[in-house]
Amino acid sequence: MAVRFEGVSVVRDGVSLLEDITATVPRGSCTAIIGPNGAGKTTLLLALLGEIGYRGRIRRDSGKTPSRIGYVPQRLTFDRAMPLTVDEFLAMGFQRKPLWFGVRADLRRRAQEYLAMVKAAHLAGRQLGALSGGELQRVLLALALSQEPDLLLLDEPSAGVDFQGELIFCELLDHLRRDRGFTQLMVSHDLATVTHHADHVICLNRRVAAEGPPRQTLTAENLTAIFGVHMGLVNSRSMPDNRTACTAPCCQGNRDG
Amino acid sequence: MADLLAPLYALVAQILPFECMQVRFMQQAMVGLLLLAPMTAVMGILVVNFRMAFFSDAISHSAFAGVALGLIFAVDPDWTMPLFGLLVGLGIMILQRHSRLSSDTVIGVFFSAMVAFGLAIVSRDRSLARDLQRFLYGDILTISDGQVLCLAALLATLLTFQALSYNQLLYIGINSSLARAHRVRVAVHQYLFAGLLALIVMFSVQAVGVLLVTALLIVPAAAARNLARSAGRMFWWALVISLSSAVTGLLVSAQDWAATATGATVVLASCAWFVLSMAISALRGRADA
Repeated sequence: MAVRFEGVSVVRDGVSLLEDITATVPRGSCTAIIGPNGAGKTTLLLALLGEIGYRGRIRRDSGKTPSRIGYVPQRLTFDRAMPLTVDEFLAMGFQRKPLWFGVRADLRRRAQEYLAMVKAAHLAGRQLGALSGGELQRVLLALALSQEPDLLLLDEPSAGVDFQGELIFCELLDHLRRDRGFTQLMVSHDLATVTHHADHVICLNRRVAAEGPPRQTLTAENLTAIFGVHMGLVNSRSMPDNRTACTAPCCQGNRDG
Repeated sequence: MADLLAPLYALVAQILPFECMQVRFMQQAMVGLLLLAPMTAVMGILVVNFRMAFFSDAISHSAFAGVALGLIFAVDPDWTMPLFGLLVGLGIMILQRHSRLSSDTVIGVFFSAMVAFGLAIVSRDRSLARDLQRFLYGDILTISDGQVLCLAALLATLLTFQALSYNQLLYIGINSSLARAHRVRVAVHQYLFAGLLALIVMFSVQAVGVLLVTALLIVPAAAARNLARSAGRMFWWALVISLSSAVTGLLVSAQDWAATATGATVVLASCAWFVLSMAISALRGRADA
């Protein structure tokens, strides 16, 4: 496994946001966290990133030391009037030499490669603040991938992305994950994305309601239980067969059961 | 100490062969401003990016309390003021990082407490009020050789820090979560930045006074934003604007026809740059459309 949440609880201002979360993110998997608004999905990601305090334990095992996390936030709130080009943005985390002296040629080439990977090569010289929501998401994905992460965290990856962008996100990530062997953990509202791209699902509603492969977790009963209404959108028969295979111990248990 | 700086003053008099620059106190003031300007330029960029204008205001207003403490304990206020500013800056940063209150609220509380504390002490002794006026309006013309050397040391420290941390600080300014995920040590950078900013603000108070110190940081950076299209170019623009405003401000203020306060004239020169940058930005916007 890449990440193991053990009894993780988050309380803020007396309100319990997460209660006793115990779940596993299998190594090399595409794991999706689904749940209604206020279920604590983003909170769980932020706890994993160390952005908020929590009780319990989060174990990370990347197989490498130190492990690297790539993070694509749902919405990047920043000062859009700041003069900063996309290639400066992609270089600033790698370049020691101050940006006053320009971006190093090798980092500029590297930025170009990763932008091309997310079909955004034309954005290299553009100002970050002038990008649309979808363009910014692609740049953020390029940034996260350029860190060559062991664990890629995506918070609502398709939010603000056009249809073509969404396809790029999902297909590209599937391809890269198989190619480079990183683990992908994404928060998603989009059940269609989850059913077709995730191979492990954590259903969350402040507690873990269900965990396992999509075919076993995205059942009408589970979805009704966590979303509160009948979700007729998911047809488990339409799920690709290879999405039922998952190496997580919890899934193995389900299969045996 | 005077011998150490004499060649530098002579050089300034040679490079700027104006009549007003042939006197020692003007040469000292010019060197002081030329040391201060690059620091306010580069820190101003980050102050604007971090939206910390209110932070620098709070530090500058703690100058009253710093000076008052020095006068009470018979310690040179030129030393108690920067030290007190440093403590206040770090105090604000600690509370900001560990409190659920908004940044503005935390700084507002410090701001009020510092001003009230300074005024309370000064009100006990009317004679202190006269000394404090110097810090309200600033006076770069009275800068000492010791202060010039301190500024030189601070500039060297700041440039080293910026050369090592500028990119990471920009990253934190964009989004601290993203920076942390990229293994940037956010807390260390934030504390070092706050400490250095507090020291620079306090030295700037001596030059332009409490009322104008934030302008010295913000205006060149704001003008540079209008002119630059990349983070790299913004740095150079801010540096050019800050240095040229300092030189112009000091020279103009010394002219008989002007006879204005130096700090205010420096800030007015950078405001002229800002107006020009707005016009250029508007013209550029029209051309792009």
